[in-house]
Amino acid sequence: MKVSYRYLLNHIDLDGVSPKEIADKLTFAGAEVEEISPLASGTNLVIGEILSCIPHPDSDHLHILQVDEGAKNGVHQIVCGAPNARTGLKVIVARNGAKLPGGEIRPSKIRGVDSDGMCCSLLELGVNKKFLTEQQTSGIEELPVDAPIGEEDVLGYLHLDDVAIDLDVLPNRPDLYSFENVAKEVACLFDKDTRFQKIDPLESSPIHFVCGSETPKCQIFTGRIYKNVSVSKSPCELKELLAVAGIRSINNIVDLGNYIMLLTGQPLNMYDADKLPKNELIVRDDFEGDFVAMDGNTYHLEKGDLVVTSDGEPMCLAGIMTADACRVSETTKNIVVEAAYFDYASIRRTSNRLGLFSDSSSRFCKGVNPDQMEEVQDKTGSAMKRFVGAEHCYIANSYDTFPHAVKTIPLSFNYINDRLGTNFSQELILNTLRRDHFEILESDETSFVVKVPSYRIDIDGKADLSEEIIRILGYSNVQSVLPRTKLALNGLTDHQEKERQIRRFLLANGIDQILSYTLVSSEENQKFTYLNRAKPYVLKNPMTVDHAEVRTNLIHSVLKTASYNAARQNKDLALFEISDIDAIGHAGKMLSVVLTGNEKNQEGIAERPYDFYDAKGIFENLMAILGITKNRYSVRKWSFSDKEMHPGRSAEVYIGKKLIGFFGELHPVALKEYGLKNASVLALDLASAFEVRVGNVKASIPSRFPSVFRDLAFVVDEGIPYEDLRKEALKSSTLIKNVEVFDVYRGAGVDDGKKSMALSITFSKEDATLKDEEVNDAFQKVIASLRAKFKAEIRE
Amino acid sequence: MDFIEQCKQIIEKATQAIDSIENEGQLVGFYNEFLSKKGCVCSLLSEMRSVPKEEKAACGKMANEARSKVNELYEQKKSKIEEETLNKKLLSESLDITLPGRAVKPGKINPYYLIVDEVTDIFLNMGYEVAEGRDVESDYFNFELLNVPKDHPSRDMQDTFYIEGEGERLLRTQTSAAQAHAMLERQPKTPIKLICPGKAYRRDDDDMTHSHQFAQIEGLVVDHNISIANLKATLELFVRKMFGEKREIRLRSSYFPFTEPSVEVDVSCFNCGGKGCALCKGTGWIEILGAGMVNPKVLEMCGYDPEVWSGFAFGVGVERVAMLRYGIDDIRRIYSNDVRFLNTFINK
Repeated sequence: MKVSYRYLLNHIDLDGVSPKEIADKLTFAGAEVEEISPLASGTNLVIGEILSCIPHPDSDHLHILQVDEGAKNGVHQIVCGAPNARTGLKVIVARNGAKLPGGEIRPSKIRGVDSDGMCCSLLELGVNKKFLTEQQTSGIEELPVDAPIGEEDVLGYLHLDDVAIDLDVLPNRPDLYSFENVAKEVACLFDKDTRFQKIDPLESSPIHFVCGSETPKCQIFTGRIYKNVSVSKSPCELKELLAVAGIRSINNIVDLGNYIMLLTGQPLNMYDADKLPKNELIVRDDFEGDFVAMDGNTYHLEKGDLVVTSDGEPMCLAGIMTADACRVSETTKNIVVEAAYFDYASIRRTSNRLGLFSDSSSRFCKGVNPDQMEEVQDKTGSAMKRFVGAEHCYIANSYDTFPHAVKTIPLSFNYINDRLGTNFSQELILNTLRRDHFEILESDETSFVVKVPSYRIDIDGKADLSEEIIRILGYSNVQSVLPRTKLALNGLTDHQEKERQIRRFLLANGIDQILSYTLVSSEENQKFTYLNRAKPYVLKNPMTVDHAEVRTNLIHSVLKTASYNAARQNKDLALFEISDIDAIGHAGKMLSVVLTGNEKNQEGIAERPYDFYDAKGIFENLMAILGITKNRYSVRKWSFSDKEMHPGRSAEVYIGKKLIGFFGELHPVALKEYGLKNASVLALDLASAFEVRVGNVKASIPSRFPSVFRDLAFVVDEGIPYEDLRKEALKSSTLIKNVEVFDVYRGAGVDDGKKSMALSITFSKEDATLKDEEVNDAFQKVIASLRAKFKAEIRE
Repeated sequence: MDFIEQCKQIIEKATQAIDSIENEGQLVGFYNEFLSKKGCVCSLLSEMRSVPKEEKAACGKMANEARSKVNELYEQKKSKIEEETLNKKLLSESLDITLPGRAVKPGKINPYYLIVDEVTDIFLNMGYEVAEGRDVESDYFNFELLNVPKDHPSRDMQDTFYIEGEGERLLRTQTSAAQAHAMLERQPKTPIKLICPGKAYRRDDDDMTHSHQFAQIEGLVVDHNISIANLKATLELFVRKMFGEKREIRLRSSYFPFTEPSVEVDVSCFNCGGKGCALCKGTGWIEILGAGMVNPKVLEMCGYDPEVWSGFAFGVGVERVAMLRYGIDDIRRIYSNDVRFLNTFINK
């Protein structure tokens, strides 16, 4: 909302207060000023007359002018490029040393001819192009013939000496979409009085014209009729005020409507009275059908849309836009002026559905003051007299079923001070509210009752009044006092603690933690869905197809990030993300890890491509960190046939019957799709893993007696898994405490289809030193049982 | 030859020989020649038997002298050569100490988590708990319970992603929804001190400063007799821990539907200390938080009697803090996870 600085000066006694000072006060009181912009600027300006104009000898477009700048300044020679420069023209001259938005004017030689100043266009004085005609932007400004030569207050003469103060009006203060209310606000903040002129009402008489409503969504509808008005250009004064607010002048009638709206915040609607089928305007919400608005477009209206009708025909989409059929045009003679109060929710819904917004609809959506319709009509009449020359006004039959209740709030002084943590005196509290245009209806030692000004539709409780006090007096009056709260055992929950441990582990292991978008395309949401098959939440109003659904899994997002990086020559990557996953009937955290390219622990000296076992190793350690021992989960061969994971190099992890994670290498088809050479991934349903109950840790006490180690290599069929050998070996004797593999060999000396597994076996006893024969006996048992079960042969 | 003369000759010969010895092989030769069983020192000693009795004492002394002298020459040379050999070996083992060390390099971390962790830890240390909301919320929790009824003008401020079907579901537009959950779900109604870091979503076009997904950290304290003064002190504590001991804050009146009064909180610029610089656009202040007293209507809807309870709430924009602190020019970098960008950030 752009407000005129001059308007404020005219209505408040603000002796010497600058726009900046006003802006600072408003900003701290809740109406942030985004910009202060003068309509035009320039120093050292003067009005001059071109005495002579001859072509420049060295140019096809420049002229050499002699310009009379008045008795005080004399005549100066100016070289000018404007095509409209001519003898006798009154012009704006920027004299030497003038500071214009584009720079400073200095004496110069232009193609060998001295030039002493510059003739200006309004564009050069910083006037927004949108307020200028094409002629005004293509040459110098042509001043009226009666412009006073030598006048130095050029901006004042042109009514361009105003400054727009641009307020960011927050949704709780729709009253500030009104110059009058901004003036009241500024007066309050500077503790000054306002001085508004008394309305000079136009002579009036009743007329038979019915304004009515057939819906509770319009409770007030007033109309005034003006006859034989002449539509013409607006006076400068009106144009300038509109320009400050950023509104372009159309004609005196339209401008007047905007002027009243700017002043009071109440949108008006104007109808060409002669185009109405009947002497009535009735608001209805049951109209269905097409509506041609004054913007030339046709809109399809539904039941529920508020429509102003005459004889059943739609004349206006209430509060939003007039029908093309009855709009005010150059030929209009008689006009009806509507000031009404519509339900903001209805206007908002219709406006949003049709994508049709106007200054009027925006004000209705934010909320208007229902208690000022007749006053607004009187002000309109007064302005009709001033700007259009109207002398009489006909008053239509109004409609008003609004309760118009006076809002009063009782509260105690303590409430204010307790809520703010202040110690304001009763007098200060009451005076501050009075400054803010609240009326104190009663007050005693402890409490008081205020009457809320009708335009403050945002105030509806005592908390609002505490805010009024402090925003006016300033938050610097509040001390800092830490809250006195009771001690409670808060901190991280068990699950939050586990998540932190996992993050720390992964980071310490050189894996980067990334943050990707929750929204994905529906195609992307079909990928890697093993851990969560629940249906996704699909957006009703997505912005793009790329962000149309809430992701149900995480692997794809991390792979996509790997892919993004690989395309930028970042090929060796270890990435992870932990994120909440929301799907229909599923809510929980997930973890995904992607390893691609080489593991590089010493730059490229000892690099090696990531493979299955990297993912597996991380997975095993994660489970260990979560306290989930190996007997609590099972690792099984890959059973899915999607071309996403390598079927022979991937594994599924179950706790009970629930798939809680998987790890392995990517399928070549998937690798190609993501543009990766190799990739190992790991996915874990953290929510499920966190739920696994973990018992207390019990220390394992090492035996006092020395262990014995024996190494042995077995040749077995390729298909026999190490884990089976290990388990069988462990089972074969109680003396065997540990079995570890230290080599897997295929090649010379080992038949095709076979592999040699070298195992290191640890024997020990808790209560005695092992004897040689005991170890030999246990060793033979291992050999025998592996031979029996797996046809394992000892490799010599 | 005279025995004594013989001894002297051996010493002289050995002294000469030892000088020319440069390696272990030559040293062994010296040993063989002089000190081995067949060496000349040994044969000298065996000749002692033939020395006349009266000369034995003098000759014996001389012979021992020759033996210990030769032995000494030998031992000295030996340790010298051993040391030289070791030095040579050590020299040959020298490494290029400028080659990179071998280690797992710590993983890099998206700055989002750095800020969230830092803020979380500050409030954990103040005895807060951490609430975690969900991305998909109901209209009821995201808006209605926060005093934003249907068609409320402030819904225009935050264009919302809605979910197909499924009643009135949406992607939360603010982490404040977690406030409503915390208050409504707490039974019995006890004091609350929590923060809720998390993601939020709005229908903004992604550009340098806007993102359809962003992150906030919400704070909420509900107790008896909570005031603006308490909010101010809490935020001062936070801001000084986060941005430096000398930071000041200032409160400006603002509007949020779920707080009354509402304020914007500026912190004195942590780049220039308040003098005015490019970061604070010359004002000396940086807008960093939104806050206020919990609106009595919100307390009431969530089952806390506003005549008995009061509270304050605040919210910080995570990306904004990250961008200001780390000099990030474009919010989209945070979500692109280019590892060359992430490389700047190591978890502390």
